Amino acid sequence: MENESKDCPVLDTIESLTKEAESLKKKLEDERLKLNDVTLATVAERLDIINYMNIKPRRTLKGHQAKVLCSDWSPDKRHIVSSSQDGKMIIWDAFTTNKEHAVTMPTTWVMACAYAPSGNLVACGGLDNKVTVYPLSLDEDVTLKKKTVGTHTSYMSCCLFPNSDQQILTGSGDSTCALWDVESGQLLQSFHGHSADVMAIDLAPSETGNTFVSGSCDKMVLIWDMRSGQCVQSFEGHESDVNSVKFHPSGDAVATGSDDATCRLFDLRADKEIAIYSKESIIFGANSVDFSVSGRLLFAGYNDYTVNVWDTLKCVRVCLLYGHENRVSCLQVSPDGTALSTGSWDYTLRVWA
Amino acid sequence: MEPPEHHRGDHRCHRPSAFDKMEGLVREMQDTEHGGVPVRSQKLFLTSIPAAFMGYDLIEWLMERLGIEESEALNIANQLCQYGYFFPISDSKNLVVKDDSSLYRFQNPYYWPWQNRSPDNVEYAIYLAKRTLRNKQRHGLEEYELESLSNLKKNLANKWDFIMIQAEEQVKASKGLKKADKLVADSQERAYWRVHRPPPGMVGSLEPCPVPTRSWNGGCRTRKRTIEDCRREVELLRNSLSKTRVKVSQALESMVQHVEIYMEYDPLITPTQPSNPWVSEDLTYWQLNSPLVDVPTEKRVRRWALSMEELVSDPTGLQEFTNYLRKEYSHENIRFWMAVNDLRRSAQSQIAWKVQDIFEEFLAPGAPCEINIDGKTMEKVHQEMKTPNRFTFDAAQEHVYTLLLKKDCYPSCRNLSAVHWEPPRRASFSVPATTLPTDPRKIASFEDASAASTGARRADVDDGAVEEEIEASRGSVSGPLSPANTSGAPTISVSSVTDDRLAGKADDAPTEATADDTCQKPVEGMSKKPMAPLAEPDAESPCSEQPPSEPGDELLREGDAEGEAKSNDVCPWEDE
Repeated sequence: MENESKDCPVLDTIESLTKEAESLKKKLEDERLKLNDVTLATVAERLDIINYMNIKPRRTLKGHQAKVLCSDWSPDKRHIVSSSQDGKMIIWDAFTTNKEHAVTMPTTWVMACAYAPSGNLVACGGLDNKVTVYPLSLDEDVTLKKKTVGTHTSYMSCCLFPNSDQQILTGSGDSTCALWDVESGQLLQSFHGHSADVMAIDLAPSETGNTFVSGSCDKMVLIWDMRSGQCVQSFEGHESDVNSVKFHPSGDAVATGSDDATCRLFDLRADKEIAIYSKESIIFGANSVDFSVSGRLLFAGYNDYTVNVWDTLKCVRVCLLYGHENRVSCLQVSPDGTALSTGSWDYTLRVWA
Repeated sequence: MEPPEHHRGDHRCHRPSAFDKMEGLVREMQDTEHGGVPVRSQKLFLTSIPAAFMGYDLIEWLMERLGIEESEALNIANQLCQYGYFFPISDSKNLVVKDDSSLYRFQNPYYWPWQNRSPDNVEYAIYLAKRTLRNKQRHGLEEYELESLSNLKKNLANKWDFIMIQAEEQVKASKGLKKADKLVADSQERAYWRVHRPPPGMVGSLEPCPVPTRSWNGGCRTRKRTIEDCRREVELLRNSLSKTRVKVSQALESMVQHVEIYMEYDPLITPTQPSNPWVSEDLTYWQLNSPLVDVPTEKRVRRWALSMEELVSDPTGLQEFTNYLRKEYSHENIRFWMAVNDLRRSAQSQIAWKVQDIFEEFLAPGAPCEINIDGKTMEKVHQEMKTPNRFTFDAAQEHVYTLLLKKDCYPSCRNLSAVHWEPPRRASFSVPATTLPTDPRKIASFEDASAASTGARRADVDDGAVEEEIEASRGSVSGPLSPANTSGAPTISVSSVTDDRLAGKADDAPTEATADDTCQKPVEGMSKKPMAPLAEPDAESPCSEQPPSEPGDELLREGDAEGEAKSNDVCPWEDE
C-alpha cells in the first residue's frame, strides 16, 4: 500500500490520499494495540487512594463586568492576568485581591491572555484576530506601550510565551498556530495541520523544549516541533471539540478536556490514549484542564459550573468543587502548585487552595 | 483559509452532545411506569395542581439513577432546570431546584432547547400580545416584558397586524381546552420564554458561546480539506507507523513512578511547610522559596538530587551548579548551555550576532572558553554556521548537556553535595542539636563540601552508582531505603528537638536563625510557634501521602542511641 502511492505521487487525489490515510490508520491502530498490555488503573493499584481533599475557595476576584474567558498566573506565583467578554484585561494581585491594572481592549471577547516568563509583559487578543503585548509598569498607563505582534485571519483563541519574552505562540480560529517574534512582529513559524479552529495550546515542560501540543474543534490533538513547524504526533479519540490541552509535568503525556464531557490522557511514548476521565453524571463539556505539580491530580472546569478533580492514575474522581455560578471557562494551577485559579462566566475568578 | 461550509439556517447543525444526554435523562425521568419521577396532581392548600412533581423526589431519583451524592444531584437538577426541561411551578422568576417539597413540572418536548430553531421576535411578540388579551390578574406582563412588547411593536410595526391576528387566534383556540390542560400549557409556554428571553440580569444557559463560529457553524465547522491537508496527514501517519513506541505497561510504570516521586513536592497533595500562604496568609513559604536564595530549604535541595533538569530549572540550583563547576574549572560547559538557551529565546534581531559571539567564545579554535565536543558534532556546528539561526548550536548543546553535564558533572556534583544535600535530612531526623553546624551558610554552598571528605568519596563512585553511594554514606541506618522512598522520606516529622533549639537560639543569635534553615527549613514561623505546626503533618489533610513512619522511627531511635558519633561520621563540616 505504502509503496504503491509513493511510486506514483503524481496521481494523488484527495480520494486516493484519504483512502490511504484510512488504511494507514488501521495499521497504526493494530500496532498500538499490540503494545497495549495493561491499563493505567491496574498499574496504579499499588498507590494509596486519595479520598479526601481539603481544597477550599480562598479568594474571589471581582471586577470584570462580563464573562471571564481566560486567565494566566504570573511567574511570581501571586499575580493573575484575566480577560473577559467586554474587552477588559485585568492584572490582579490575587493574594490581596487588588486590581493593579485594567486595560480596555479595542475588541470584545478577549479570549486569550498570557504572562511572559519575566512577569513584565502580558499578551492578549481575541475577536480582533490579533495578539497584542502590553509591558507592565506601575507608574504609567500600560496601553501607551502596547504593541501588536501578530495577526491571524480569524479570532485568536489562545496564546503563550514559550519560555521567552521575545516570542509568542498563538492558536487561532483560522485552524493554524503561529510563532511570532515580539520585537519585530515577524512570523517565525506557522503550524498547519488542524482542519478546524484551534482552541488550546500548551508548551512541553522542558527548559530546552521545542515541543508544544494543540487541541482543536476537529477533535484532534497534535504535537508539534517548533523548530521545523512539523506535526510530529497526533491523537484521536475525542468525540467533540477539544477545548483544552495540557502537558503532564513529566512531559511524557498530555491531558485534554472536550465538549464530549470527557477528559483524556494521551501518552507520547506509548503513542496512544491511556486514560479517560468520565462519569455518567458528567453531562456537560470540559473547558479547561490542568495538573497539580506532581501530575497526580487533574483539575477540569466544566460547563455545569463545577470543577472536577480527577486522580489521574487511579482514573477516579476525587471530588467536586462548587462555587461558581456559571460555566467555568478557564482554570490553572499556580506555578508553584500552591493554588488553583478558576475563571467563570459568572464574571468572577476564584483562587482555591 | 477556506470559508467554512455553512448549513444556513439549520441551528441543529452544532448541537452539543450535552443535549442528547440531558434529553435521555429527562425521558427516563418522565417514564413513570419504569421508575421515573412520580408525577401527580398535588394539593397545595385548597387548590389542586396538575402534573407536578416534588423537588426531593427528583433529587432522590437522580441520586439513585446516577449513583451520586445529593450535592451533585442538586447541581444536575439545576442545570436541567436552567435549560428548561422542567420548571418551578410557583416561581416563574427563578429557575432554581430545591431539595424539598416545592413543585415542578416537566416541559413539553416541543419546547425543549434545540428542538426548534431558536425562537424569533415575531413569536415572542405573539406570545406577549396574547397575554395582554387575557385575564390581567393571571396573565399580566412583568415590567421587563411590557418594555419588550413596546420595543417589538416599534421594530415590527409592519407586521403588527399579523401578530395581533395570530395572538387572537391562539387565544380563541385555547378556549377549547380543559382547564387543567390549559393551565399546564400556559405554564409551559411561559417557562419556555423565561428560558429564551430571560429577565434582565438573569443568567441564560442558552446564550451563545464566546467563539462565534461555534454557535452557528455547527458540526460542519471543519474547513474543506485540501490536497495539501491529505498529503500532510498521510505523511504524518507514515511517520507514525515507522516510529518506535514503548509498551503501554512501560510507559505507565514510568508515569506512575514520576508521580510517586513528585507527590511529596505537590502542595495540593502534601501540605507545604511551614504553611500554604493562600491558606494561612503567612508569606514565609514564598520567602523561603524565592527564585534566588542564599540558603535553600532542605526539600528544595533534595529536589535537585532528583534530576539534572530539576537542578538547572531552579535559579538557585543553577547558580550552585555553576559555582561548583567553576571550582572544578569546567564551567564553560554550563555557560555554553545557558548561552544557547538564551540564544533560542532571543529576539530575531539579535540572533546573528549572538550566534557569532557564542561561536567565538566557545567553539572557534583557541576560543577563550573552548568546549570539548567531538569532531562529528563540531562538523555539524560548522555546517549550521552557514545559515546562523536560533537552533544553530542545538546539536552541540545536546552533546554538552547529555555527555558532559548530565553524565559527568551532575553526578559528581550531586555526590559532592551528597554531603550537603544529605545531612539536612538527617538533622531533621535525629542529629542532636549540638551536632548541628554552627555556620550553615557554609554548608549551603558546594565549596566547603568539596574539600577533603568529598575527594575521597568521589574516588570510589562510578557513574550511576550515585544512589548506592549515598546510601553507603548513610550507613546501615538508611540502608533499606530504596531510591524511591529516599526522596519520599519525611522531612519534618521529627523536628521538635531542633525546634526547641531554634526557638531558643533565635533569642541569642537572631541573625543565624534563618541560616539554620539550611538544615531545617522553617524559620520565622518556627521561632514564633516552636512546636506544633511542624511536628506533625497537617491534620486537615489526610490525603497527604506521607511515607510510612517506620523508617523514620527507626532512624530516630538509632539516631538517639548513637546520635553524636554517627552524625560526626556524616557531618564533615563539623571538623571545620
